[in-house]
Amino acid sequence: MPERKLQYKEELFSTEDPFFTPFEIQMGPQHPSTHGVLKLRLVLEGERIVDCEPEIGFLHRGLEKLAESMSYTQVLPLTDRLDYISAMNNNTGYALAVERLLGIEPPPRGKFLRTMVCELARVASHLLWLATHALDIGAMTVFLYCFREREKILDFFEDICGARLTVSYPKIGGVRLDVEMGTLERIYDFLPEMEKRLEEYEGLLSENRIWLERTRGVGVISAEEAIAYGLTGPSLRGSGVEYDVRKHFPYDAYPDLDFEVPIGKNGDIYDRYLCRLKEMRQSLRIVKQCIEKMPSGPVCAENSPDLDMLISKRAPVAMAKGEIAFIGFPFERVNLVPFGELYSAVEGAKGELGFYIVSDGTGKPYRLHIRAPSFVHISALPKLAKGHFLADLVSIIGTLDIVMGECDR
Amino acid sequence: MRLSPRHILLVDLLKGLSITLKTLFKKPVTVEYPRKRVQLYASFRGRHALVRDPVTGDARCVACLKCSQVCPSRCISIKFEDDPEKGVRKLISYVIEALRCIYCGYCEEVCPVGAIVLTEWFEYSQSTREAFLFDKERLLQNWDAFVKTFEGKVYTNKFWNLRGVPESLKPVFKREGIDVKLRGEAS
Repeated sequence: MPERKLQYKEELFSTEDPFFTPFEIQMGPQHPSTHGVLKLRLVLEGERIVDCEPEIGFLHRGLEKLAESMSYTQVLPLTDRLDYISAMNNNTGYALAVERLLGIEPPPRGKFLRTMVCELARVASHLLWLATHALDIGAMTVFLYCFREREKILDFFEDICGARLTVSYPKIGGVRLDVEMGTLERIYDFLPEMEKRLEEYEGLLSENRIWLERTRGVGVISAEEAIAYGLTGPSLRGSGVEYDVRKHFPYDAYPDLDFEVPIGKNGDIYDRYLCRLKEMRQSLRIVKQCIEKMPSGPVCAENSPDLDMLISKRAPVAMAKGEIAFIGFPFERVNLVPFGELYSAVEGAKGELGFYIVSDGTGKPYRLHIRAPSFVHISALPKLAKGHFLADLVSIIGTLDIVMGECDR
Repeated sequence: MRLSPRHILLVDLLKGLSITLKTLFKKPVTVEYPRKRVQLYASFRGRHALVRDPVTGDARCVACLKCSQVCPSRCISIKFEDDPEKGVRKLISYVIEALRCIYCGYCEEVCPVGAIVLTEWFEYSQSTREAFLFDKERLLQNWDAFVKTFEGKVYTNKFWNLRGVPESLKPVFKREGIDVKLRGEAS
């Protein structure tokens, strides 16, 4: 950091303006509009941002290291805590990676249920994004309206699996519980209502003059730069690149479903906003098709691993008996799962969520790396923020849809 | 754009205000919590309890240790001893650290006899950390407290009977589903 400081000082003091005085402030980590514990070191010239450096790691919990000491099934509840506002996507992504490693094919009903809850979680996540983004810019009404609808989606999750945020509903080889017909009907009835609500949000925001002035032409990133920075998801699609894991590398029930990938044109905040709203409509369409096409049958594959998949029982039994004996290795080196490395990605609510697993044959992952979209998106923050006003930084943070739980892991 | 008639006549702002005005006359969706309560759905994952068997009056746990093995946060610790005469395991202590629990529901899903359950009880704040160390007696008390509020005669948990798993893979208990008779017929 000190070297960097000198560097920008040299740059800035060489300007011709004699009254040019750079001013450094720290924004965050406890700041209401940094969406979590993101800290930004800003260098301002007057009110314009000259330099911006994100500092992350305030929510680091060592999840990847923790996963190395757990069996594959035990890691799944931890992935709820990554992107905690669309936990279904994380669970599905992890379950899919392990399924591809073990060679398990979920039954069709399991696939459709998983796709349905993933899309509902995407709608919930985008609703929370819209709510907080609008609140940052100053539209309080949208915040309250969005939470009203998000509450209903969380109620569906509670009905399906008994939890609202940390769901742990998908499982390796399918889903944990079957969904009752009445619940599916209630979700089906909710969809046209949600469409109407989306029109309400658009009526409040899309033509509003304050919203337009705050979002149009702010935080522009071109398609080439967005690809170079590794942006994915709606942040990339707002720049006009049609990349979606659901279309290009289809998983679960997405090949059987009909949907479009909405893209923007200019790559500014307004286009990303429109892109996400269109994506919510597409998600509702997917949920509708899922319920209409829902096949019957089992929801979990027969060869899916048990919850207590492979743990050697000797150590816990000896400990529970109170014996002070040689306990032995709790995880023996036997080939329970295939060797190898594997990268598998899903389209999370924020972007491409990838899981990279290195397997050494034991029941635990030798290494689990998570490609978190928020982590990559934060790296593009300086590019987007430079040259803008400090007040615009708030909307730029909001448009990237950052969740620090996913970024710091 | 600033000289367009829509902009001068405040069409965009009035359109938004009309939406808020319409919502003003709708029924509120909020609930005043301590006085009114929302109905929780079945199998909500809340406070832990050990099921009290109405026949024996004791916990149904058989000390198979599956719950402590699958627990991702390792919050369950069990001690047992072997009874040489009957050849069964006798439970000495069963402790759950509720503050470490992440409420994933793996313990109730893996239990072969449906002994442990996460009840639909979410108001259990305490002022000391020791109060969250649930031993066997506390867990049985939790069950009694929950059953008082439960209206039906038979309690069953969604996670006990794994409906998604094929029948051939289930243990015998789970094929039939586990019900706990609470009142009336259990004598």
